[in-house]
Amino acid sequence: MKNLLDPRTKIIIAMFFTILVVASRTLSWLLPQWGVLIVLVVAIGKGRAYARWLRLSLPMALFFGAVTWWTADWKTGLMAALALLNLVSVFFVFFSTTTPEDLGNSLVKAGLPYPVAFVFSTSLQFVPVIGRKAKNVLDAQRARGIPLEPGWSALRHYPAFLGPLLIQAFQLAEELAAAMEARGFGRPGRTFYRDYRMGPTDWLAVAITFLLLTACLILQRM
Amino acid sequence: MTGPFLIEIKSLRYAYRQSGAGWILDGIDLKIRPDEYLLICGASGSGKSTLCRTFNGLIPHFFGGSLQGDIRIAEIPSTQQSVGQLFERLGMVFQNPEAQLFNGTVEREIAFGLESIGLARREIERRIAETAETVGIEALLPENPHELSGGQQQLVAIAAVLALLPQTIILDEPYANLDPVNVRRVRTALRRIHQNGTGIIISEHRLGLTVADVERIVVLYQGRIVLDGSPAQVLKQDIESYGLEPPLAASIGRKLGLAPLPLDIDGLKSSVSLDNLPVPPAPEDLPTIYPADGDRVLMLDRVCFHAAGKPLLRDVGLTLSRGECLALVGANGAGKTTLLKHLNGLNRPTRGEITVRNRPAREMKVSQLARYVGVAFQNPNSQFFKLTVWDEIVAGAKALQCYDESWIRELARLFALDPLLARAPYRLSEGEKKRVAFAAALAARPDILALDEPTAGQDMFFRRSLGLLLRELQARGQAILLITQDLSFAEEYARRWLLLAKGEIIAEGTPGRVMGDQAAMARAHLEPTDRFRLYGGKKY
Repeated sequence: MKNLLDPRTKIIIAMFFTILVVASRTLSWLLPQWGVLIVLVVAIGKGRAYARWLRLSLPMALFFGAVTWWTADWKTGLMAALALLNLVSVFFVFFSTTTPEDLGNSLVKAGLPYPVAFVFSTSLQFVPVIGRKAKNVLDAQRARGIPLEPGWSALRHYPAFLGPLLIQAFQLAEELAAAMEARGFGRPGRTFYRDYRMGPTDWLAVAITFLLLTACLILQRM
Repeated sequence: MTGPFLIEIKSLRYAYRQSGAGWILDGIDLKIRPDEYLLICGASGSGKSTLCRTFNGLIPHFFGGSLQGDIRIAEIPSTQQSVGQLFERLGMVFQNPEAQLFNGTVEREIAFGLESIGLARREIERRIAETAETVGIEALLPENPHELSGGQQQLVAIAAVLALLPQTIILDEPYANLDPVNVRRVRTALRRIHQNGTGIIISEHRLGLTVADVERIVVLYQGRIVLDGSPAQVLKQDIESYGLEPPLAASIGRKLGLAPLPLDIDGLKSSVSLDNLPVPPAPEDLPTIYPADGDRVLMLDRVCFHAAGKPLLRDVGLTLSRGECLALVGANGAGKTTLLKHLNGLNRPTRGEITVRNRPAREMKVSQLARYVGVAFQNPNSQFFKLTVWDEIVAGAKALQCYDESWIRELARLFALDPLLARAPYRLSEGEKKRVAFAAALAARPDILALDEPTAGQDMFFRRSLGLLLRELQARGQAILLITQDLSFAEEYARRWLLLAKGEIIAEGTPGRVMGDQAAMARAHLEPTDRFRLYGGKKY
């Protein structure tokens, strides 16, 4: 499933879906879209992960909806919430089927300079690492009585959080640079282990989703 | 083919750009053949890592600094070869696995170097399969390296350089963060790699982990090579004066004048009968444990903790009294740090009760508990944010509004920090940083001091001075919880052990009693210390 389509195909399809979500103006369009996304999530076997993801994104969508309701009416609010939910779900499906490197490497094929793509995909790799370090800093400081619990007092103590985190991030970056250097990063003549080619399946998938998008957009206006 | 030596170093001196500390390497002469299994050892700051970095050109190409003398790799001066040219001959595995694994899957990680040298896809595929088999990580290929255990990460890092078919692999303290089971796994892989004809250079200060594997040992001291020879030749000398602890078997063998010198306990047992062994030195008297309940400062009663639906702690019970040093021992992932975070409220038990100074901990906030429980986590870099060591030590006490200057002065004296007080914490050595973190943990005069893996990566000098310090604190009535997988440290300084495995306490008692419980030790993935293997439980 993961490697059925070229990452670029997935970008295009995700883009189409995003256009569709943004262009949808009624609940009767937005709800089925969410349905399709849930079917996709189940099909790629990420149901559990999606449930965890919802726990984070649902409150965010509801908050957004509530704000919209307050400024407009309840129907617009509900639509705004649903549209946001659909958008983040599109991203969820995209990133659970595409590794950052696949994305980066295929963009290199499409003309992006390799170092740029590398920096992009590697920084995504290190998000969880930095997250863990941030947690360790919080724990270490709170353990000695520096109040970094969520709240106003935390703002006053932000150097206690940011200082160690930034310094450790710089250290990590230096070690990482040495390790990359020692494995030939930047040496001319790099090959790519995985071949990125837009095959017939890819073009077919792009064509079909394009037709679907156009059809949906026309139907909505009728 | 090149000459007989892969690495030839003549009168090398080196200093990093920013350090004002003078030469880190000060007159090194060294020749290494491509197929050797070589150990470079020395205390912290002796220049081990720095020397390793000169082998693959990271020094001077990446780190800069000033360099005198001559480094030749395969007869060509390394100044004339870039790191990108050298890495095919000399693969380097760095100390921190986290910072050298930067791909989304293990397969990609191994492929990275092969892509750098421009191999065709078929060849990359073949090499990945071959290397994964040699190292024994076939099953891990689709996994994300950052989600693996420390031992697995180390194996992946080794595979990533081994796939390039280098003549020699350099490993900088590969066992630093591994538990015994993972150490054994990596050692086995390295022996196999060496048998296949690849040279290995390893830097390490814990000799017990390596002497039985290597053919040659080079001892560094203050940037100079002070000893160079076979393990037996080197261990015959007094290496303790260089800050190195010889394996127990070798140190006994040396005293008895045994030849050949035994390198491990099995070797010693086979060359001398147990009755002829010298009587172990009497354990120094430890301060007595206060038995009275009134002095109990910490109690955990059937504490359970679940996170993300998984039980991480199960029915953990323990007590700690004033003046006692209790060791909580267990392998990586046993739940030691999870338990530690319960003591100061960073984790709250799902079930069970924690009592600190006869008061339920659940009634207290983290900031209140910080008054009673001082914690020093494993990595001191997670907490430094002040410009001087002094400010760093007092930061917690000031936030808790219990700053007492005379006590801080006393702490600085105890931890030998006086000469460092005006310096920036980040500029200190790792051992000095740890001492600052320990002092900071005590700044608020907590009843309980909890140290998380205090000896990890530290040399003999540090371990001995920490040990003395713990005794001194204990004698003053400080309750100490030592969280560690360093069993030989724990057996010397803690009279009572709790053995933790998969979130459960599975054995309790004196070190001898816990290590004597073979089933529990196997379950906990730990191995008894050399001393226990030699003398049994008698000594405890």
